[in-house]
Amino acid sequence: MGTFINIIKEHIQYRHQIFKLAFTDLIKTYRGAILGWSWAIIKPAVTIFVYWFAFTFGLRAGRDVSGYPFFLWMIAGLIPWNYMNEMLLAGMESLIKYRYLVTKIKFPISTIPTFVNFSKLIIFSILLLIVIIIFMLFGFMPDLYTLQILFYALLAFIFFNVWGILSSMLAAISVDFTNFIKAIITAIFWLSGILWNTNNITNPWGKAFFLFNPITYLINGFRNCFIYKVAFWQEPLQLGCFCLVLLVLTIVTVRIYKKLRKEIPDVL
Amino acid sequence: MNENVIVFKNVTKKYRLFNSRRARLLSVFTRRIKYITKVAVDNVSFKIKRGETVAILGKNGAGKSTILKIITGVAFQNEGEVEVKGRVSALLELATGFEENFTGRENIYLKGDLLGIPKDEIKELEKQIVEFAELEEYIDQPIKTYSSGMRARLGFAIYINIEPEILIVDEVLSVGDKEFEKKCLKRVNEVIEKNNVTLLFVTHSTETAKKFCKRGIILNQGKLTFDGDIDKAVELYDNSIN
Repeated sequence: MGTFINIIKEHIQYRHQIFKLAFTDLIKTYRGAILGWSWAIIKPAVTIFVYWFAFTFGLRAGRDVSGYPFFLWMIAGLIPWNYMNEMLLAGMESLIKYRYLVTKIKFPISTIPTFVNFSKLIIFSILLLIVIIIFMLFGFMPDLYTLQILFYALLAFIFFNVWGILSSMLAAISVDFTNFIKAIITAIFWLSGILWNTNNITNPWGKAFFLFNPITYLINGFRNCFIYKVAFWQEPLQLGCFCLVLLVLTIVTVRIYKKLRKEIPDVL
Repeated sequence: MNENVIVFKNVTKKYRLFNSRRARLLSVFTRRIKYITKVAVDNVSFKIKRGETVAILGKNGAGKSTILKIITGVAFQNEGEVEVKGRVSALLELATGFEENFTGRENIYLKGDLLGIPKDEIKELEKQIVEFAELEEYIDQPIKTYSSGMRARLGFAIYINIEPEILIVDEVLSVGDKEFEKKCLKRVNEVIEKNNVTLLFVTHSTETAKKFCKRGIILNQGKLTFDGDIDKAVELYDNSIN
């Protein structure tokens, strides 16, 4: 518990640096390219376009979901996944990327995944705005349910921040961990229902699996805002399970942080 | 009487050595993984008062760098207590720790932010830093275009000009040319005399140590073997080498 409070304290004390470094991280990623900042948007925009093209003209596979074209159903989950995918990897590699903050100056290492997370969140927010605009172009106006994306974005931010702190320490210790996560990321994608509807699962074991899959919960949450029009308090079981997973992840993270904090600068 | 700014009380630092990185990863989850313990700093105690100038002498692997890292706050002791008061400026590996795609000027501001120095203070120091680093028009070019000498100059200029209270100088001044080295040492001297700065100096050149420091600490295989007058320290150290 003391360690947990310490981490929070470090974040409050270094909040100014966290925001500064979040923007630094953004600028760093996109500077040097002629199109610069636009790459942050172009990359996912191309992906959206390709999916739209494939599913509208090519495969003609997806049927409408709750009265929404399959394409809209898809991007409502795909764009949040884009952020999660970034955080699964960039969060994990944040300590390695910002090695000099660990080994050269006195800086709290727990805040490094946090500012990387903020940097990714900024791009994610812009993309969510684009998604809202696309929905409007299709004739679906934002309503009160749309406001809930703030709630789910907050949950995603917290979840992936804890993940970032945990995974970045393990990645700093061994490249085996990094390779393992990179190897299973496609599996995570297909096992979280980004491109297919997990609500259609009837097998009880499958149901339980998706109930405790935090990524599924978040993806469905974003779809609740855009497609299903369900308020977050209408699914207390799912929310409870998500919080349970988050709690366990946080406890594990704090314990490992306590164990490794002093050793990380020696091994990086 | 001046107050203590650095206090080491029975400080021990151990490194855990594993057979492989994978063994280290596994050791997070289980206790069954074997490792060797290497003691880098062994039960070291000393006190340094404000304004003191201390040379740390010792062969490679004696634990000098580890002690400096602990004082800087980038490494942690396993046992004992460490107390450090005041803004520490560590001239360790000056050429690293820049954002490559940022210009020299942007890096000055970034460093300032990271070290928690108020913006207006950095603004005041900016001109001084740019002038001292002798980078001229290069200051607005990305760091990745700099030579190693230019990086070291900028690094030194930032750390020496942010008005440190404790200045740590590791064997770093050799990166620039002779002329710049001289200029650096002169500046170190000025800062010490003007602001009553505490200096910790690590060097193999006992001549330079004598010139800057009044007190000497000798380390041997992690243990503190002498702490006292610099002339005596240098004599002992030179004898131990020959």
